[in-house]
Amino acid sequence: MKLAYYPGCVAQESGKELDLATRWVCRALDIELVDFPNFSCCGSGFIDEANEVLNVALNARNLAIAERAGLDVLTICSTCQGMLSLANLRLGDARVKARVDGALKPIGIEYRGTTKVKHLLQVLVQDVGLAAIRAKVRRPLRGLKIGAFYGCHLLRPADEMQFESGEEPRSFEDLLDALGATPVYYRGRVMCCGFPIQFVKPGTATGIAGRQIDDAKAHGAEAMATPCPLCHLSLDTYQNQAAKSVGHALDMPVFHLPQVVGLAFGATPEELGLPRHLVPTDAVVARIGPTTPA
Amino acid sequence: MAGTTVSATFEVYRFDPKKDASPRYQRHTLELAPHTTVLTALLRIRGEIDPSLALRYSCRSSICGSCAMQVNSKSRLACETQIGPELERHGRIVLEPMRNQAVLRDLVVDQAPFWHHYAKIEPHLILDPRRPMPAGKENPMSPEEVERFKETPRCIACAACFSACPAVEADPGFPGPMALAKLYRYVVDPRDAAHQDRLLAIQPGGLWTCLRCHLCTEACPKDIRPSERIRDLKEMAIRVQGATELGSRHAVGFKANLRDRGLLNEMKLVRQTSGLFGMLGQLGQGIRVARKKPEILSRPRRIEGLDEVERIYAALDTDGGDAK
Amino acid sequence: MRRHDVVVVGAGLAGQRAALAAIEAGRDVAVVSKIHPLRSHSGAAQGGINASLGADDSVDKHTYDTVKGSDYLGDQDAIEFFCKEAGPTVIEMEHFGTIFSRAPDGSLARRAFGGAGFPRTIYAADRTGLALLQGLWERLGTARFTLYDEWDLTHLVVRDERVHGIVAFDRKTGEFDEIAAKSVVIATGPFGRVYGRTTNAHSCTGDGVAAAYEAGAFLKDMEFVQFHPTALLESGILITEGARGEGGILRNARGERFMSRYAPNVLELASRDVVSRAIYTEVAEGRGFSGPYGGYVHLELMHLGKEKVESRLQEIVDYSRIFAGIDPVTQPIPIFPAQHYMMGGISTNLRGEATLRGLFAAGEAACVSIHGANRLGGNSLLETLVFGKQAGIAAAAYAETAPAPAMKESDLDTAVAPLRAWSDRKDGEDPTVLRTEMQQVMDRYVGIYRDEATLLEGLKHLRAIKSRFSQIRVVDQSKVYNVNLTDALETGHMLDLAETIIVGAVARHESRGAHSRTDYPKRDDAQWMRHTLARKGPDGPTLSYSPVAYTRWDPKERVY
Repeated sequence: MKLAYYPGCVAQESGKELDLATRWVCRALDIELVDFPNFSCCGSGFIDEANEVLNVALNARNLAIAERAGLDVLTICSTCQGMLSLANLRLGDARVKARVDGALKPIGIEYRGTTKVKHLLQVLVQDVGLAAIRAKVRRPLRGLKIGAFYGCHLLRPADEMQFESGEEPRSFEDLLDALGATPVYYRGRVMCCGFPIQFVKPGTATGIAGRQIDDAKAHGAEAMATPCPLCHLSLDTYQNQAAKSVGHALDMPVFHLPQVVGLAFGATPEELGLPRHLVPTDAVVARIGPTTPA
Repeated sequence: MAGTTVSATFEVYRFDPKKDASPRYQRHTLELAPHTTVLTALLRIRGEIDPSLALRYSCRSSICGSCAMQVNSKSRLACETQIGPELERHGRIVLEPMRNQAVLRDLVVDQAPFWHHYAKIEPHLILDPRRPMPAGKENPMSPEEVERFKETPRCIACAACFSACPAVEADPGFPGPMALAKLYRYVVDPRDAAHQDRLLAIQPGGLWTCLRCHLCTEACPKDIRPSERIRDLKEMAIRVQGATELGSRHAVGFKANLRDRGLLNEMKLVRQTSGLFGMLGQLGQGIRVARKKPEILSRPRRIEGLDEVERIYAALDTDGGDAK
Repeated sequence: MRRHDVVVVGAGLAGQRAALAAIEAGRDVAVVSKIHPLRSHSGAAQGGINASLGADDSVDKHTYDTVKGSDYLGDQDAIEFFCKEAGPTVIEMEHFGTIFSRAPDGSLARRAFGGAGFPRTIYAADRTGLALLQGLWERLGTARFTLYDEWDLTHLVVRDERVHGIVAFDRKTGEFDEIAAKSVVIATGPFGRVYGRTTNAHSCTGDGVAAAYEAGAFLKDMEFVQFHPTALLESGILITEGARGEGGILRNARGERFMSRYAPNVLELASRDVVSRAIYTEVAEGRGFSGPYGGYVHLELMHLGKEKVESRLQEIVDYSRIFAGIDPVTQPIPIFPAQHYMMGGISTNLRGEATLRGLFAAGEAACVSIHGANRLGGNSLLETLVFGKQAGIAAAAYAETAPAPAMKESDLDTAVAPLRAWSDRKDGEDPTVLRTEMQQVMDRYVGIYRDEATLLEGLKHLRAIKSRFSQIRVVDQSKVYNVNLTDALETGHMLDLAETIIVGAVARHESRGAHSRTDYPKRDDAQWMRHTLARKGPDGPTLSYSPVAYTRWDPKERVY
């Protein structure tokens, strides 16, 4: 499998561990990632609020870049997945397409609408398949109780994202199960992390994050895992503020999706960038133990 | 297939605040056809087993909006939710009252906050006294103008969106998806003269608290897609008002931010949104994060083809113009 | 005790319009509704509202169509007034903010409805009732009044042949209170739930009509029950006439477009009673489909094309898919007639005045009579607004000069005592069982085709149920949201109304409009062109008759 790699801004900057882990896992699965130094930011939902057509055009350019190379796009961020998919969808509206084409044509870009956009979670579960993943597990996760946290834009609106149920997904839990972990179901797993209003109403945002972490905890989760680096920012990087909002310590380690996969495949914490997390993951990783011999 | 039935187990939330110390779940198992609706099942429970179960219902045809409740944790109209798919997925059907509204009894909630937010957005035509209604005739309305309402006229005020909304849960002052979708309906109504004032009034503490999580759009039985209408309101508000709120400043700031390098400059964004004082307020946090993630202090690389991005901005990043 | 000038009971279109009119006349108005106003059954009306706004239409044509549609039982002076008011009424609703469907030139779109000369039904997709209800509620929200939300009417207080107010209780707390008023407007809508097979909402139990009857008001033309031809087979959910207006056709099991035999000129767009009888006959004579939910025919929309069906008939698409498991774009919809509208109700004149001083009524709860023996589609939504306004104006005018009401403490006790007895009883009849039995009796004995023996049998069963009702027991003792209690209250109301329907039907020895007697198959203008009046007596309803108001239209044979 060969895919145009669209890491998104955070994975290239403060979320570098996500990029590290993604590359490690893709190498292990023989997924060739092609870098494109001309990909621009997806807009993160904020540009969509300010100017919908501009957002579509910027992402149409990204999709055209991949289309020129004859490749589908791999995202590793729920929000990027949402925004790029949205661009494909909105281009179905003739008026939007006319305005976007009007901006792209003068710069020699034509997007014919053929680029598919897939999130790593989709690729793992649908293209690689759970059986193949199970076969690659070297260090089963010993029943570690992990609460998945999907991130809104990966799932919803479900009829637009066309992935799975917008309120009752199970792909991540199925994956966790294949890796030997015990998936924890809790209401917050499909809810918002608060990130979009982090700058608007920080207290409210961190309160929301805290609530979801508490919910995971109340259902027995020892760790959480998310396919969105913005959710990771909210849940891990700002966890101290979330703890302040809910009035008690949370102490919940939060993994990126490929880090959980990487751990199960036998990678070391350093290879997956785990030391960069604000909430330490050592104790949980110690639970999993060393790699089993091949 | 007509005639086949399944064994359906219901766990129904029961709570009378005047009598019970705490809520309990009452279990009933009925033999029902799979296409039976939750409401039909509840009415059978009331009729044949326990007449004290309290719930709201009327039309049974998804038009009156009375019977919204949580069905296996999803906010839904009971009268149009079939038991078959729920049983297949969950093995049982847990019925609970809607969220974000205090429980009056069993499945009946106090909708006062919901009605309050609806009334607060002034859901009625506000006219320009210099432009009275045409005497004895309808206001003309072109098919394009009618289309601009999108699906907002279909709202039945069931409150499923309000129940599903995490922003309402976190902030009771947030108007909620229904009130905002209603606001959209009035903002785009060609007969209304107050759209600028409406967009101005909704912003402080209102519009920009929306998390755009789309849970409302999933819950809405009438395909109104409130989260997408809220997005439309945000863009309209910026065009009409400029960036006057933290939320609009953030969106506009983000938009401008990319022109620099093509990727997000995190530090610069904080400064653009929160200003210098805001930044200082976040200083402690910034230092803490920078220790583990030093990249946060530096600028991102510049993408190749940044000039293309700049040209796209030049073509489309216009003030005014038609909000869709 | 609370006090207002005008109390409006029922907050659908008629009640809200009455309230608005009374408020604009300067009165202190209260609106009492057992469900939130936006939940009212007005919102379920689908197809449209009539007004002769088209250039090639006229008030006279609309009047004639309505008079003919009524099978000459409608009061022609009232109908003339009604049709004259139609245009301004619709325009007023548009000015209030109602969002209607539009023609390409920006004017109000119109579609054809049964019994009309041509398209005069103004609509909002297939949710016209919802559009009007919202538009009116949002307009009413700018006026000042007191809303008693989720309060049930238990008693209309009448002394010395005049109204003094009502007794009601708050569903949310179980607290009873008296509301003294000079005028009471009843706008509680239909009572179709006397039938099991009905398009009506569960809330349609005629509480205001029953309370008025109990207090001595006359009811009119109760035997005239409209069956809507196209209701979903299993659930009774309405499939709008608009589906036929847009070109939908009916077929029996032989693939025949059978309406050509019953209404050769207008086929599926014949008046509702004609189409209902046709479908009933097709099934009764073995040409229908059959299945676990009974016999039925097909309503076909497939030939209209996906785009037209999905844009103009959106709710119908959803209803068919969810409640019948059918996709109308590709499959025929199984339908059979169900009770839909009550032409009968509280007898009023065209000012909305009932037969007790201070009592007014409007909407489906009232009978003016506009619809006579059969109502045209699109005239019901119009009726709520035209006569809601009239009733509000009249109620306000009366309240301006009427003496203060004289409610007594004992009025409260009189209202509360029976309900308390139901709750105190240790052993008794289950009101839900009695309700179901009543509905089965009405479905079986008082349907589309009637005859003396069947009706009398039904009456006998109904009276037996009524006498058992005096021994009902309400099990739920809670004061908070006691649906067991409100169910029982409603059932009691419906038993009275059901009785008046059957008694009126037995007495009317002719067939006219929706009332079809197999033993009296012809219309008999000489003896029966008159309204049936029912008043509560010691042993049931006492009947009397009043003439039909005639202005210009001589009765003719009704052919479509």
